[in-house]
Amino acid sequence: MPNDGRSPRPAFAPWDRRELPGLFSVEESARRVGAYAWVEQRLFEALGGWIATVPELDVKLVLGRHCYHHAWHAEQFHARLPELREMNPARCTVPANDGVAALLEAVIEPEAAEHTIEKLTGVFRVLLPRKIAAYTYHLNATSSITDAPTQRSLRFILQDELDDWREGEMLLQSLITTPEAAARAAARAAALETLAVAAGGIAGPGTLGASPTPEVTP
Amino acid sequence: MKRFLPVDELARDERFVRTSIVAGFNDPRNGRASERAISSARLEPGRAAAPDRARALMHGIFVGEIQALEGAGRTTFDFDDADAPFALKLDMARQCWDEARHVEISVKLGEHMGTEIGEYTESTFLYEAACVPDPAMRLSGVNRALEGLAIDVFNTMKEFGDASGDPVLHFCEDWMLADEVTHVKMGSDWLRRLTEQDPERRARALEFQRTVDKLFSLGGFRGETEENPVQIARRFRELAGFDTDEIDEIAALAAEALADARAREAVAG
Repeated sequence: MPNDGRSPRPAFAPWDRRELPGLFSVEESARRVGAYAWVEQRLFEALGGWIATVPELDVKLVLGRHCYHHAWHAEQFHARLPELREMNPARCTVPANDGVAALLEAVIEPEAAEHTIEKLTGVFRVLLPRKIAAYTYHLNATSSITDAPTQRSLRFILQDELDDWREGEMLLQSLITTPEAAARAAARAAALETLAVAAGGIAGPGTLGASPTPEVTP
Repeated sequence: MKRFLPVDELARDERFVRTSIVAGFNDPRNGRASERAISSARLEPGRAAAPDRARALMHGIFVGEIQALEGAGRTTFDFDDADAPFALKLDMARQCWDEARHVEISVKLGEHMGTEIGEYTESTFLYEAACVPDPAMRLSGVNRALEGLAIDVFNTMKEFGDASGDPVLHFCEDWMLADEVTHVKMGSDWLRRLTEQDPERRARALEFQRTVDKLFSLGGFRGETEENPVQIARRFRELAGFDTDEIDEIAALAAEALADARAREAVAG
């Protein structure tokens, strides 16, 4: 039959398998997005501050580039909040709990020029993997129809995060050239991971499941 | 990490050699202002010293871009959201990326022109201007004065690339020029917004800009005559939002800086 545009077709093409149900309410999605925005903002500020404190020229330049990436992520999340009924984005841009605030404070703390390994370990071996996990969970758990705008932002942001994580990990591997340096990186990662576990992840307990709000199934 | 990192804590690898701006002024290799009046001081391919001067200028751009990167980065970190709004920090983060690219470009251009990191010294005045405690002054001193100077320098280098038949230099400088116009506009916008309710603060910031503009005219380094190696790029400054009066004022400051240098030479004999 010729396609004259008048024959009825289904709203969803056969290959479009998106479903309505999602694990997050509007409020829960907003809470998580606000928590992500807070982490991204603290992170881009820290990377910006560190640029002047690292002597390694290649690291300096990567920090400058990644600083903007995380600023852009923060901007994306900020822009999403009013669309999730949070008309005052600053009110929602807060750490998920005191544990997350403590984690970020510890990640940001190193300053001395000889602490590049500690700086990069905190970002690329603890914080970015935690963010990638949290964003991937959100992407997979939320409704791909009702919360599609958040998903779209998360996909772009995750691409950045994965690229940046790989680049940071390669920088770290190029800097960790002695057993002592390896031990420093491991000790730093362990200390920060302990804080991340205590916080329950960057969005607090339930970052990777067991959402505090009930499942919503239309 | 503490807020407000002092200039002596700027981290560098062992290739970098730091000098004070005073030492730079007094370096006899810079040429005496009075002698420069004998013939054109402009960067022209026909002059025997042109390749070395262009390399030195490129190294100056390289270290300046590093400090601009560091300064923009510190502005994302040094202030809370009340003193530096989130949107300003976003712009500074964007500037970090741009400056990081400019460092990359100037490293590659330096190699292309036959110099290497550390061949010339680094003066840290740019970072000092980037670290004043008032964000409005950072924007006037760095984004308007120093990024404005970068417009002049990049345009001069672009023209030098053109005149010397170097399309790589012309191409890269033109791209960096586009970024600098954006940074100056950013600085003008934020200066206006931050000082909207505080004319005294705006006046202080603009006075700081004038000081930086005069200092970076460096005894005739920048101006509008044959005696100035770097020429004021009026057209690009207009694109960046400077009005004619403001550009005239910069030209006058540059002429003053040259006159001051000559007066100092006369006293020194």
